[in-house]
Amino acid sequence: MDFVSIKKRLLKFSRSAWTPFAAIPIALGIGAIVLLIAGYNPLQAYAAMWQGAFKDRTAITEVLIKATPLIFIGAGLAVAFRCSIWNIGAEGQFYAGAVAATAVGIYLGDLPRFLLVPLVLIAGASSGALWGMLAAFLKNRFGANEVVTTIMLNYIAIFITGWLVTGPMIETAGLFAQTAKISQNAWLWRFLPPTRLHTGFILAVVVALVLYIIIFKTSLGYTIRAVGINPEAARYAGINVKRKVLLAMAISGGAAGLGGAVEVAAISYRLYQLISPGYGFDGIAVSLLVNNNPLGVIFSGILFGALRSGAEVMQMNAKVPSVLVFLIQGLVVLSVVAFGVYSYVSKEKEE
Amino acid sequence: MKKHLFIISALIIVLSLVTACAGQPAAEPAPAGEQPAAAFKAGLLAPGPVNDGGWNQTAYEALKRMETDLGAEIGYVEVEMSPAAFEKAFRDFADQGYQFILGHGNEFTDAAVAVAPDYPNTFFFLSSSRFYDPSVPNVIGLNSDSSQPCYAFGYIAAKMGTGAGLIGGMEIPPISESFTGFINGAHAVNPDFPVQVTYLGNWTDTASAKEASISYIDGGANFLLGNADFAGNGVYQAMLEKNVYGFGMFGDNTEKAPQQILANYILDYGAGLVHLADAVKDGTFKPTSNIEFGLVDDDVIYIVYNEGAATPVPQELRDEVAALYSKISSGEIDTLAPVE
Amino acid sequence: MELIPSILFLQGILAATWRMATPILYAAVGEVFSEKAGVINIGLEGVMLIGAFSAYSVAFESGSLWLGLLVGILAGILSGLIFAFFTITIKANQIVVGAAFNMIGMGITGFLYRSMYAVSAVPLGLKTFQSVEIPFLSSIPFFGEVLFKHNIMVYGTLLLVPLATFVLYKTAFGLSIRAVGEHPKAADTVGVNVVRMRYVSVMIGTALAAVGGAFLVLAYADQFVEGVVSGRGFIALAVVVFGRWKPWGAFWSSLLFGIFYALQLRIQTMPDVNIPYQFLQALPYLATLVVLVGFNKRRVQAPKTLGVPYK
Repeated sequence: MDFVSIKKRLLKFSRSAWTPFAAIPIALGIGAIVLLIAGYNPLQAYAAMWQGAFKDRTAITEVLIKATPLIFIGAGLAVAFRCSIWNIGAEGQFYAGAVAATAVGIYLGDLPRFLLVPLVLIAGASSGALWGMLAAFLKNRFGANEVVTTIMLNYIAIFITGWLVTGPMIETAGLFAQTAKISQNAWLWRFLPPTRLHTGFILAVVVALVLYIIIFKTSLGYTIRAVGINPEAARYAGINVKRKVLLAMAISGGAAGLGGAVEVAAISYRLYQLISPGYGFDGIAVSLLVNNNPLGVIFSGILFGALRSGAEVMQMNAKVPSVLVFLIQGLVVLSVVAFGVYSYVSKEKEE
Repeated sequence: MKKHLFIISALIIVLSLVTACAGQPAAEPAPAGEQPAAAFKAGLLAPGPVNDGGWNQTAYEALKRMETDLGAEIGYVEVEMSPAAFEKAFRDFADQGYQFILGHGNEFTDAAVAVAPDYPNTFFFLSSSRFYDPSVPNVIGLNSDSSQPCYAFGYIAAKMGTGAGLIGGMEIPPISESFTGFINGAHAVNPDFPVQVTYLGNWTDTASAKEASISYIDGGANFLLGNADFAGNGVYQAMLEKNVYGFGMFGDNTEKAPQQILANYILDYGAGLVHLADAVKDGTFKPTSNIEFGLVDDDVIYIVYNEGAATPVPQELRDEVAALYSKISSGEIDTLAPVE
Repeated sequence: MELIPSILFLQGILAATWRMATPILYAAVGEVFSEKAGVINIGLEGVMLIGAFSAYSVAFESGSLWLGLLVGILAGILSGLIFAFFTITIKANQIVVGAAFNMIGMGITGFLYRSMYAVSAVPLGLKTFQSVEIPFLSSIPFFGEVLFKHNIMVYGTLLLVPLATFVLYKTAFGLSIRAVGEHPKAADTVGVNVVRMRYVSVMIGTALAAVGGAFLVLAYADQFVEGVVSGRGFIALAVVVFGRWKPWGAFWSSLLFGIFYALQLRIQTMPDVNIPYQFLQALPYLATLVVLVGFNKRRVQAPKTLGVPYK
C-alpha cells in the first residue's frame, strides 16, 4: 500500500468518523432556536449539558459507560445493515442477552471468576445471537420480512423478561420486580476506581474493531457486503445468500446480546423489567450515522452517550426537560445527512 | 476541498462553542437569592415524566413544597430508565451539595447504596422502599402505603358495585400493592366480589388503558381503578364515557370524571417530606428505622370524597370506612395480606 | 347459560378490534403509498407523535376537533416534505432519516408539551369525537355493537381503504406511484416526474400517519401524553409488509393485530385464568409472527426499488 492510498484511507476514515461531530453545531443551533422559543436560555442549557458530560474524569467515564451498550449494538447492526438486513430487533436481542447473562450469573454463581465472567458473556452473546438468528431463520425458511419479525420479537423478548423478573427469577424476598444480584464472581472489573469505568467498555471497542476487520478486511465480510448490495448477483456468484443472512443476524444479535450481558455484569448486577431504555433503537441511529462502519460506531456511540449524560444535568441545573435530547439526537443525524459529505448511494457505488 | 473547509469551519464552531460554554460555568445564580451561604438543596430522581398526573407528579409536587416551605433550592431529573443512569444522577446531585436526594422508586436502591458512603452528609431517600441498614445510615426507605387507602376503595366498591377492574402500568410495588389492598378490601365485604387486575406493560398507552377499562365494563364491572401514570388517563376517560364509578389515584382527579369519581386518594408526599427535609436541613435528622406513611399520617395519605358525584358514597358507608382506618393503622387489618 | 356471556365476550372483542386497529390502519395505508413509490419511512412512530401533538394542542386551544385534525394533517404533510427532501432530493438513506424522525418526534413533542403545558393540575382533556350510532343498524343485536357504534374517525377507515385502493389501482396517478416504485427509469422515460411522484407519495404517507396519531388524542383517549403512540408506528410498519403492500391487506392485517390485542385485554379481565399476563401481552405480537410465517406461501415481493433513491 503506497503512501497516497494510506493517506486517502485515513482521510476517508476521519471523514466518516468526524462528520457526526461536525454536525453537532447545526443540531445544537436548531436546538437553541427551539429552546429560545420555549423561553429557555440555550447557552445556560448547553453549558449545563457540557458540564454534565465532561466536567471531570468521573463524568467522562460515565459518558463511556453510557456509550458501551450503544457501541455493542451499533457495531453489530452495522454488519446486518451492510448485508441489507434491516434488523430493528436489537432491543430484543439486548434483552435476550441480559436475561441469559443474569441466569448464568445467578445460577452458576459458585464458579470461580475466571470461568464465570467468560461464561456470562458467552451466554449473553449466544442468547442474543439465537434471538437474532430466529428472525433470519424465519426470513430464509418462510420469507418472513425481518422488519416485521424483529419488531415482533422485540416485544416478545421484553414480555418474557417481564415475566421472568416478576415470576420465576424474582429475588428471594419476592417483593420487587427484579432478580437477585448476580454472583460477585460474575462482575466485570471496574479498572479505574473510583469511577465505574469497566472492562466492558474495552470489550465494546474490541468488538467494534473486530467487526470492522471482518466486514472490510476478510472475504467473509466481502461476501456479506456483496449480498447486501445485490443478493441476486451474489447468488449468481455462488455465494450462499441464506447462510450470509443467518450469519449477519447472528453477529448482529450476538453483539447486542453481549451488550446486554455487559450491562448486567458491569452496571446493574441484576435484571429489571426495563433493563434497556431503548438502546436498541438508538443503536440503529448510532450505526447509520457513521455509514454502518463499526469503527465509526465507537465515535457515534460516545457522542450519543455524551448527549444523554449531559441532558440529565441540563435538566438538573438548567431545568430544561431532558426529553429535548431526543430532538438533538435526531437533528444530529439529519445534519450529518445534510452535510452531504457522503451519500449512502455513492458510497455503495465506490465499493 | 470545499467539503473539508466546511468540516474545518464546523469544527472551529464546535470548539469555540465548547470553550464558550466551558468558560461559562453552569453555576446558576441562586434562585430567589435568599439564602446567601450554602442553601439547602433538595433533588429528585424521577423514573418518568413529572407531569404524568400520577406517581412522578406526586414527587415533583413534594419537591415544589420544599421550595416554598423551606426555601430549598430544588432540582429534578427524569432519569433514563436504565440502572446505568441512576448512580450518576445521584452523584451529580450529591457533588453539588444537595443534602436531600429522593430516588422515587425502589429501583434506585442499589445505586443509592453504592453512592451513599461517599457522601456521608447527604441523605438519600427512596420511595416505595422499606430499606434500612445501619451500615449505610444515610439511605432511608420511605414507603407510602397505597394499599391502605385502596383497601378502603375496594371496600366501597364491593359495597356499592357489581365488580371492579384494576388497570396497572407495570407490575411494580407502588402498583401491585395498591391492587392488593383493593382486593383485600373488596373481599372483606364479599369474598366472591369479582375483581381482576390488568397490566398494560407500559406507562403511556392511554388508548389501551381505555380499552382495558371497557373490557371490564363489558364483563359487568362498574368500578374502575387505574394506576398507570400517563396511561391512567385512559381509565378516567372510560369512567366518564361509560358512566361507571371509579377512584382517583395520588391526587385530585375529580375533574377528569366529575360525576363518576367517588373519591380520590391523595398522597400529599410533600407534607410527609417537608418535615423530614426540615430535620435534614437543621441537622437533627437521626433515623433509626425506615419510614412508613399510612392512613395514620392523615396529612400525607388520605381520602377525599367527591360530593359532586352522581351517587356520592353514602354517609353510613363513610362511617364504616372511617372505622376501618383505625383497624388498619393498628395492624388489625393487614391490607397487604397475600391474595389468592 | 354459558352461551350468552360468550357472545357478549365476542361482541366486546370485535367492537374493540376495529377501534384498536384504526390508528395503525391510517398509518399503514399511508405507508403503503410511500412504499409503493419506493420510499420506506420507518419514522412513522415519530410522525404519528407529531400528528398527535399538533392535533391535540390546536384542538385544546381552539376547542375545535376538526381544526385540530386539520392542523395535525398539515403537520404530517410538513414532516413528509422534510422527510422527502432528505430522502429524495439529498438521496440520504431512508432508514437513517426515518430513525432520525422517530427521535425528533419524541423529542419535539415531549419538549413542547412540557413547555406549553407545564406540570399542572389543570385537566387537559378534550371533548373527543363521540360515537355515532347509525340509526336502525346500531340496534341490530351483536352487529350493532360491533359495527355501528363507533366514532367518525373509525368509520373513516371504511372510506379510506377503498379510496386508497381505487387511487392506487384505478387511476393514472396511482399507476405512476406504482411505476416509480417498480421501474423508475421506465416511468421517467414515459414522462412521469419520478421525484414529484415520490414527494407526493411520501407526503400522503405522513399525512395519514399523522391522522393515525391524531386519532389517539381526538377520538380515543382525550389527552396527549408523551409517547402516547406507544409503538403503533412500528406495528403499522409491520402491517404494511404483512398486508403485502395493499390497502386491503393492511386493513385485514391491522384488524388481525387488533383482534389479538383486544383478546389479550379481555383475557386479562377474566378470573381463573392462570396464564402469566406477560404471555397474554405477547399474544398479538406472537400471533402476527405465526400468521406471517404460516400464510406466507405466496410470496409477494416488496416494491422493487424500495429504499433506493432515484438519480
